[in-house]
Amino acid sequence: MEFRREKSGSVSAMFEPVEVDLLRQIANQLVQLLHSIDTDDPMTFTLSNVSRLLPAAYPDDPEATAEFRRFTADGILEGKIANANAVIAGLGDEPVPDVSTHDPLPVPIVLDDGQVQSWLRTLTDLRLVVADRLDIDRHGVPQNHDEESEMISDVYDWLGMVQESLVYAIDA
Amino acid sequence: MPKTDERVDTREAVFLDRPWVTVVWDDPVNLMSYVAYVFRSYFGVTPPEAERLMLQVHNNGRAIVATGDRETMERHVEAMHGYGLWATLDKAAE
Repeated sequence: MEFRREKSGSVSAMFEPVEVDLLRQIANQLVQLLHSIDTDDPMTFTLSNVSRLLPAAYPDDPEATAEFRRFTADGILEGKIANANAVIAGLGDEPVPDVSTHDPLPVPIVLDDGQVQSWLRTLTDLRLVVADRLDIDRHGVPQNHDEESEMISDVYDWLGMVQESLVYAIDA
Repeated sequence: MPKTDERVDTREAVFLDRPWVTVVWDDPVNLMSYVAYVFRSYFGVTPPEAERLMLQVHNNGRAIVATGDRETMERHVEAMHGYGLWATLDKAAE
């Protein structure tokens, strides 16, 4: 998986089918999470993952922060949901081939400028949510070490790799 | 777009003469390359300036990325949250 800039201006990469499946799954989970955020409930923002997706705009002024959220949170969430849905749509709905029966062929992923925007932002939102789940400390090191966290940590690193590759490709 | 005209309050009247700033904070999640990209693409700064701001965030823990009236700074903070960056508003130091 490495994104490259095409002559047409789009960027493209070959993904393993398992990578496509993984991204589709976690992007769907992100959409579910975003839909579940009730911006009318002030307690929502005490959840650590929500407060990272929609940070306090005025750290020392809860009143101004609440007002800012009242005017912006729904729109920001709608944007995040639209981006994640655009990523999912771009992945297609091919079922994952049975790896035990044959070598699955890599899947070409081609992104235009709009899709690149959706990907960069969705990869960020995914990493923010996953980092919260892993209880990443301020040096970027996960503090949760149970078996599931080890696996999620690999996903976190992979998301970072995809995003880095995408940023470099559009800079090229 | 935030409907700012509906929330004019006394604080704005008091601090009309004091500009506001948009602050971006260091977080362990966002990649340095992505943060620099956001500064370039959203604020339209040159690559060296984006790099300088990004390193300021990374090394100092925060950087002021814009200065101006409150309404504009709120729009910037809203945009930064859309990008997934940790951004806040503050009054400019006197």
